[in-house]
Amino acid sequence: MNCEEYREAIGADPSFDGGARHVAECAACQAYRSDMLALEQQISRALAIEVPRLVMPELPEVAADNVVTLAAPRRVSKPAWFAMAATVALAAVLGLRMLSSGIEYASLADEVLAHVDHEPYAMRVTDTPVSDQRLARVVASDVARMDHSGGLITYAQTCVINGNDVPHLVLQGEYGPVMILLMPDEMIPEAVPLSDENSQGVILPVGNGSIAIIGGREERLEAIEQSVLDSVTWST
Amino acid sequence: MHEANADRGRRRRFDRIVAVFHQDMYRYAAWLSRDKAIAEDVVQEALLRAWKSLDALRDDAAAKPWLLTIVRRENARYFERRRLETVDIDNLTASQAALLAEQPDEELADLRAAIYALDDDYREPLVLQVLLGLSTKEIAAQLGLKQGAVLTRLHRARAKLKETMDSEAGA
Repeated sequence: MNCEEYREAIGADPSFDGGARHVAECAACQAYRSDMLALEQQISRALAIEVPRLVMPELPEVAADNVVTLAAPRRVSKPAWFAMAATVALAAVLGLRMLSSGIEYASLADEVLAHVDHEPYAMRVTDTPVSDQRLARVVASDVARMDHSGGLITYAQTCVINGNDVPHLVLQGEYGPVMILLMPDEMIPEAVPLSDENSQGVILPVGNGSIAIIGGREERLEAIEQSVLDSVTWST
Repeated sequence: MHEANADRGRRRRFDRIVAVFHQDMYRYAAWLSRDKAIAEDVVQEALLRAWKSLDALRDDAAAKPWLLTIVRRENARYFERRRLETVDIDNLTASQAALLAEQPDEELADLRAAIYALDDDYREPLVLQVLLGLSTKEIAAQLGLKQGAVLTRLHRARAKLKETMDSEAGA
C-alpha cells in the first residue's frame, strides 16, 4: 500500500485499520490519519443539528385491505463499527480535540446531555455486543469493574467529560439505546435529573463518583439504573 | 375486541419505532433538503407513509434503513412537486439559514457551512455514514450505487471539507 492508496482508504472511512505496516513507516500518513480522525469528530458534531420536538401527524385508520405493501425490507446487516474500530490513538486524538474545543458548559448535566449528540453513531439499535476485550480496555480495571449483567452493551469508547477520561457505554434498552457514562471523579451530593427535547435521564451519585444514564423519552430507566448500579464497582 | 387490541398494538409499535428514529429521520431530511422547514414537512409526510406501510416492515431491526428510504423518497417527491431550484448558499431563505445558524463555535460553523455547500452526491453518503452509522455496503444499497462509487464519494467529500477547513485556518 502506498501513500495515495492509504489516504484514499482513510478518506473513505477514517476508522480504516488496514495498512498498518505503511502507516508505521510513514510519518506523513500518520499525520494525515490524525487530521482525518480529528476532522471526523468535528463533522459528526457539525451534522448533529438540533431536532425539534416530534409532532405526530394525525394518523388515519388503516384497514387491513388498505395497507400499502412495499417490497420486503432488507435485513440490517452487521452494524458499521467504524467508530468502535478506532484505536486508542483515536480516543487520545478525540480527547485532545474535546479539551481544546473551548466549549464550556454551565454544569455537568449540560455537558452530559450534549455528549449524546457528540457521538450520534453510538446510539444505534443493534443486538451485537461489544467484545469483552473492548469493554475491558474502556472500563479499565483501575477505574471500575463492570460485568455484562447490566444489559446488552453495544458500544464502548473512552470520552472526555469535564476534563477527565470516562468510559462511555451504550446499552440496549426496551425502546432504544441508552447512554451510560461512568464518572469516578465526579462526586455529586444527590441525583441530578436530566431532560431535553429528545432525551431523559439522571446522574446518580455512586460513592466518590457518579454514573449518568440517558435514554429516549419513552425509555423506562428505573430498571436500567438498578441493573447498572448492580453491575459497576469503583476500583478506587 | 381483538381488532381493537391489534390496532393498539400496531400504534404502540409505530410509536416505539418513531421514538427511536425520529431524530435520525429529521437530521437526514434536513441535510438532504438543506432546509429545516422542508425537513419538518418531509418528516411529517414520511411518518404518514410509514404508518400506512407499517405492516410491510416485518422485522423491527430493519426499521432504520426502512424509514430512511421513506424519508429519501418523500424528500424527492417534495422537490418534484414544487420543482424547487438548487439552493444558492449566498442567497438563503430564513429556514435554510436556520440550519447554519445554531452553531456555538466558529470552527464548527465554518465546517457546517462547508458540509452545506457540498454537492448532494458527496453530502448524502457522508451524512449516512457519519451521522446515521451506515456501512458503505448499506449506503450503496440505499443510494443504488456500487460500493466502490460510495468509497470514492466519501473520500472526495472529506478531501473537500479538509481543503476548505485548511484554507479557512490559513486565512
